[in-house]
Amino acid sequence: MALAVAAGAIAGVIVAGPASAQVDWQKYKGQEINVLLNNHPWTQALRDLSKEFTAKTGINVKMDVFGEEQFRARLTTVMQAKTGDLDGYMSLTIREGFVFDKAGWYQDLKPFIENKALTEANWNYEDFGAGLRSAHTINGKVVTIPINSEGPLFYWRKDIFEKCKVPEPKFLEDIPEAAKALKACDANQGVWAARGLRPQIPYGMAAFVNNMGGSFTTSEGKPGLCQEKTLAGLGMYASLLKDYGPIGAANHGFPQVIELLGQGRVAMVHESSNEFSNIMKFPGRDKDLGVKPLPPGKASGVSKPVTIGWGVAMSPYSTKKEATWLFWQWVTSAEIQGRLVNNGVAPPRSSVFNGEAFKKWSSELPIRQAWADALVEIGKTGTGMYQTNTPRIPESRELIGRAIQEALLGQKSIKDAACAADADLAKLE
Amino acid sequence: MRQGTRVAWRSFSQLWQGYLMPLNADAPQGGQSAMSVRWMVWPAVLFTVLLVVFPFAYTAVLSTQDFVFGQDRKFAGLDNYKRMFTDPEYANAFRLTFLFFFLSLILQLVLGTWLAFAVNRVTWFKGLIRTVLISPFMLPPVVIGMMAIVILDPSLGVANYLLGQAGIAPRLFLAHPEWAIGTFVLIDAWQQTPFVALIVLGGLQSLPGRVFEAAEVDGAYGWRRLFYITLPLLGPTLVTAAVLRSVDLLRFFDIIYITTRGGPGNASTTLNILAYNRGFEFLDIGYASAIMISISVVVLGSVLTFARLRRAVAW
Repeated sequence: MALAVAAGAIAGVIVAGPASAQVDWQKYKGQEINVLLNNHPWTQALRDLSKEFTAKTGINVKMDVFGEEQFRARLTTVMQAKTGDLDGYMSLTIREGFVFDKAGWYQDLKPFIENKALTEANWNYEDFGAGLRSAHTINGKVVTIPINSEGPLFYWRKDIFEKCKVPEPKFLEDIPEAAKALKACDANQGVWAARGLRPQIPYGMAAFVNNMGGSFTTSEGKPGLCQEKTLAGLGMYASLLKDYGPIGAANHGFPQVIELLGQGRVAMVHESSNEFSNIMKFPGRDKDLGVKPLPPGKASGVSKPVTIGWGVAMSPYSTKKEATWLFWQWVTSAEIQGRLVNNGVAPPRSSVFNGEAFKKWSSELPIRQAWADALVEIGKTGTGMYQTNTPRIPESRELIGRAIQEALLGQKSIKDAACAADADLAKLE
Repeated sequence: MRQGTRVAWRSFSQLWQGYLMPLNADAPQGGQSAMSVRWMVWPAVLFTVLLVVFPFAYTAVLSTQDFVFGQDRKFAGLDNYKRMFTDPEYANAFRLTFLFFFLSLILQLVLGTWLAFAVNRVTWFKGLIRTVLISPFMLPPVVIGMMAIVILDPSLGVANYLLGQAGIAPRLFLAHPEWAIGTFVLIDAWQQTPFVALIVLGGLQSLPGRVFEAAEVDGAYGWRRLFYITLPLLGPTLVTAAVLRSVDLLRFFDIIYITTRGGPGNASTTLNILAYNRGFEFLDIGYASAIMISISVVVLGSVLTFARLRRAVAW
């Protein structure tokens, strides 16, 4: 399913909202709401801002923040218990949306958006582009409000490339060539890093498959890892990690990849746009790095990166739905999203992305402008599909990650690993 | 297993009979004080039922269901158990769990006993040494896990840097499929061996001195005294240490989860990690419950085995 998240945001037409009565932000003063959040740059930035919401509304917000896996474990347990203790949570609809919707774990937010007594006219839902709104709507229900757009990007050290006289990779097939040349230039310089942890692999790897002209499914919709072009993408990802990656890459997730790039120990990575602000915290990286979407395949001519977007949802079991909506309305407003930009959170609102503040912030450094341009690009061409056709998405991604790990660890050839994975993936349909 | 069941049943019967019998033989049967005391037991019984029996029974019920979070439950009988026995991932997890269990238990008992003997001989700074000894096992597993990442990561960790300074080639530690379980064995031994040592030290210091005096008179010294007198007398203490460590080792989860998440590949996917992944990553609660029941049976079996062993070595 093509998402076109940022494109949706950017292409969105700003439509004036309906005239409304004044929202009484103090109406639910004294209530306390509980929200469960994934530890994410958005969350880190929001934590500091939430006191302003309490000052504005008198509503106290209790935030529980966990690492992504623990967050999901806690969320599913609490939702299964149908408890009113949890009022709101973050959700990645592209991953869990259909399962959560089937379980009845999403409150339809449309009535809240349309309620003039609860939603400011200038909050303007249409400011989120049509593609974006569609990605956060399931079976006609608005299940989440977008809070960001993100996807893996190609980061490379311009200074190391220049020193070694290696040209910037223009095509995907140039990356292994560049890796080889960089290794030959300086054997002590680390060359490549990317995610090697099994469940995290598909997010970083999918664009390799897509750009080589491959697909995770066959034309009949069956698991298709064992197809020629897909194998080329899978093989390139595994080989780069195996031949040019850091030792121990099989246990590396985004924290290690960012650390290696930030410390200057590798020359290239393929890592989330989300981590841009964390990378920029390392001294010197704002001047010597380049960033862009993963280059297109030379033979295929395809550029199809991964793009996803988190959103905020409301629990249908919440007993403080109005107060929770006020909080989500506030955090997804143009004003707050505009301020979150300074923390490197890519804004999903058209007005913010195209606004003066974001333009000014982007233009302050070439690397910021490159990052913003890359987000526009992956928004236009990106996809959120990086698994086979199944409602059991986490299992599918785990099996795809397993195939890469088996090749990376030298346990199987990429063809044997991918063909074996196809057989297991077929059982998930 | 039948022996174990008999032991468990006997213990339960004795407990129940104890409850039915008057607490004070001299008190009149059905007297006010006996009744009052008996009622005082109920909070403990209630606590046990609510916090131990109910969760276990509920897990057992879930294990007989085809239950994926967010979907309707269906009764599945023993399907989850049948699936367990044909699942290669379960077989691998079972093998890894026991490999880790046996290697760790043996290493910790041997090193812990040696450490206890060493500390027992120390006459200076006893308090300080014991404080240093207990410090590793006072650390929460999450801290140990983070320490393992920071120290042992082959690319970012300090261990390989230090090895490199000493001219030794870098090691993969947790990043190599064949090294992962061994590295966890060493991490747990570092943390828990002092715990075993403290238990053994306590037992060592309570051994009757007269036996050793008699042994000396009979000319038993050194290794002979160690193998024929000291270690047999320490038998009940060692079994107690083994029971406590066994339960912990079979539940070992946190450090693996923090460091490798069961990888690389599935080289450290023990039963606990497998159950967690099935339950919370894939929301397959029925199958995860069946795995957890199988772990509980193994834990219960090991405790009962050690309980029999303790009686065998009692003196």
